[in-house]
Amino acid sequence: MSLIELKDVSKLYGFGDATSVALDEVNLTIEQGECVAVMGPSGSGKSTLMNIIGLLDRPTHGDYSLGGKHVSRLGMNQRAKYRRDRIGFIFQAFNLLPRLTALDNVCLPLLYKGMSTGKRNRQAWDMLERVGLGDKAYYYPSQLSGGQAQSVAIARALVNNPALIIADEPTGNLDTGSSRLVMELLSEIHKTGNTVIFVTHNPELTRYATRVVYMQDGAIKHDEQTKLGEVGRYARAVMYTVPETTEDDDFAGVSAIMPVLDKRAEAEKAKKSKATKRKPRSRKAVKR
Amino acid sequence: MLGVIIGVMAVTLVICIGQGLKEQIADQLGNFGKNVLTVTPGSGSAGLSVLTGLSSASSSLLTASDLSTVENTPGVAEAVPLATASGSATGDHTIKSPYIVATNANFPDIIHESFSSGSFFGPNDSGSVVLGARIAQKLFNDDTPLGQGLIWRGQRFIVTGVYDYFNAPPFSIEANFDNAIFMPYSAAQQASDGSLGIYRILARSSTSSSGSHVISSVRSALIASHGGADDVTVSSAIDSDGMSNQTLHLLALLVGGAAIIALIVSGVGIMDVMLVSVTERMHEIGLRKAVGATNRQILSQFIAEAFVLSAFGAVVGVALAAGAVGLLRAYTSIQAVLVWQAMVAAPVVATVVGVFFGAMPALKAARKDPIEALRHE
Repeated sequence: MSLIELKDVSKLYGFGDATSVALDEVNLTIEQGECVAVMGPSGSGKSTLMNIIGLLDRPTHGDYSLGGKHVSRLGMNQRAKYRRDRIGFIFQAFNLLPRLTALDNVCLPLLYKGMSTGKRNRQAWDMLERVGLGDKAYYYPSQLSGGQAQSVAIARALVNNPALIIADEPTGNLDTGSSRLVMELLSEIHKTGNTVIFVTHNPELTRYATRVVYMQDGAIKHDEQTKLGEVGRYARAVMYTVPETTEDDDFAGVSAIMPVLDKRAEAEKAKKSKATKRKPRSRKAVKR
Repeated sequence: MLGVIIGVMAVTLVICIGQGLKEQIADQLGNFGKNVLTVTPGSGSAGLSVLTGLSSASSSLLTASDLSTVENTPGVAEAVPLATASGSATGDHTIKSPYIVATNANFPDIIHESFSSGSFFGPNDSGSVVLGARIAQKLFNDDTPLGQGLIWRGQRFIVTGVYDYFNAPPFSIEANFDNAIFMPYSAAQQASDGSLGIYRILARSSTSSSGSHVISSVRSALIASHGGADDVTVSSAIDSDGMSNQTLHLLALLVGGAAIIALIVSGVGIMDVMLVSVTERMHEIGLRKAVGATNRQILSQFIAEAFVLSAFGAVVGVALAAGAVGLLRAYTSIQAVLVWQAMVAAPVVATVVGVFFGAMPALKAARKDPIEALRHE
C-alpha cells in the first residue's frame, strides 16, 4: 500500500472565464521511505501540489488517499488532526511565530496534541538538539539567522515524528552554506525512514533525492528515479533554465555597464600618462 | 489595550462627573424638606402661584387662627407662618421699604440654611430679628452686626443672627431671603394692630413623608374653621417641588444620555482595536492551523487572549477613572462621585465587547483553509 495516492487531482482558482488551472488531473503515487524532489518553473503548480498533499488545501476534483485513507473529503478538524499527527510542513518563509521562543515554536504541534508542559518542553528540546540548536532554545526568531530559523522550523515539523515531511522550497531564502545544512538535515530525516517531499529550483539539490518529479503547467511532465548523490538526468537537462545571473546582477543593470566604463576610464588614463611621459623625454632629448 | 483603557475610563468618568453634578444640584434644590406641606390662601392650583410667586395673597390672606388650626391638626409636628409687613427699618442706615418676613422660631427647622453668625430667635424672643446676608450689609457698617439695634415702627429690635447667602431661593423669585429681615410673627402682629395677614403657612408633618392623609386632614380642618368655604390650597412639598424634580429628572436623562454615547463610542473603539489585531494575526492563525490546531483550539486561545486583554484594560481604565475623580474633587469645584454601578457596568460591557469582537474574526479566520490564512501577510 502506497503512502500517498493522488488520482486525477485538479485544483482550479476563480470562476467562469477567470478560472485558472493550478493542477490539471495529476496522478502521483509515492511510497513510504521515498525522498522526492519536485522541480519546475514558477507557476507550474508545485506549491499547490504540496499544499494538497500536506492537507493545507483541498483539491477541486479528484481523490487523495493518505496511508490508505481517503482524505480529500475530510472535515476541517479531522484534517487538522492529520496535519498534527502525520505531516510535518516546512515553508520557504520559515513561518515561525515571532512572539514565541524557538522552543515554544517547536512545542506548538505538541501543544495542540494536549501534551503536558514538561513533557512538551523535553521533547521539543531533544528535537532542537538534534538539529543542532540546543543552545538557542530561548532565542526569538528575529535573533536567529536564516539557516537557524529554518532548522527550528524543521525541528517543529519533526517533533511529532510524522510519517511525511513536506518542504516547499526549504532553501529558497537561504545562502549556499545554510542550504547545505538544511538539506543535510532533511536527508538525515529521510535516512531514518521518513518520507520526504521537497520542492526546489536548484538541480544540484536533487542529489539528495531518490526520485525527481518535473512539473509544468499544472501537470507532471517527467518522473524519474535517481540514485542518492547524483543529479537527476532530466534535471541536468533543464539546468539551463536556471538563470545564471542573480538578482543582484540584474539590479538596475549597473553591474553590466561598470566593467565597460572601467575599461574606458583605464584607456583614458593610459593615454594621458603617455602624453605626460612624452614631454620629459623630449626635454631630455633637447638636453642631449 | 489602550483603546479599552481609554474607553472604559471615558464612560466611568462621564457617569461619575454627571452623577456628582446631579447630586450638587439636588443638594441646592432639596434643602426644602420632603415632609413639608404648604398652605396658601385661595383655591387655585398651587402650580402657577409657585412659578410666578404671585400668590393670590391680594384677595384674602390666612390669619393667626388658621395657623393655630394647622398646628393643632393631628399629624402636623410644627407650623411656620410667612407674612410680610411694611415700614422702614433703621440700623446704621435706613432702608425705606425693606422686605420683612414675619415668622416664628420654627423657621430654621423647615428652611435649612446656615448662619454666618448668631442663630435664629427663640420662641419667646419678641424683640429679636435675624437678617439676610445682603440686607445686613446694607443696614450696618459692621460685618457681624450681632447685638446691634434695629428700629422698626418705633420699636427697637436686637439682631441675634445673620444668615449666609441662601443656596437657592426655596419658594419663588419673590422670596429673596438674602434681602429679608426675619422678625417674630407676634411682634409684627402687635405692631400692625393684630391684623397681619399670612400669605403662606409651612407645616412639617410628623411622619417622614407628607402623606396625603395629612394634607386632607389639614384641608378639612381649615374648611371647617372657615365655615365650609373651600378657600385654601394645601399641597405637599413634592408638588411645589415639581420644578426642581423635573430639573433633576432632565439632568438624570442628560447624564444617562452622555454615558450611553460614551459607551457606544468606546465600544466601537474597542471593537476596532480587536478587529485590527485579529486581522493582523491572520497569518499566525494560518500557521497554527497548519501545525494541527483545530478550530476550537484557535477560538479558545483567541477568546482567552481577548478576555485577558479586555479585562485587564477595563480594570486599569476604572482605576484611572477613580484617580481622575479624586483629582477633580481635590483640585476643581466639580464634585464628581464614584458611582459603583458605572464602575461595574463599564468594564463588564468593555470585556463583553472585546471578547465578542476578538473572537468573531478569529472564528472567521479559523474557518478558512490554512493556506488561505497563511497567504495573508
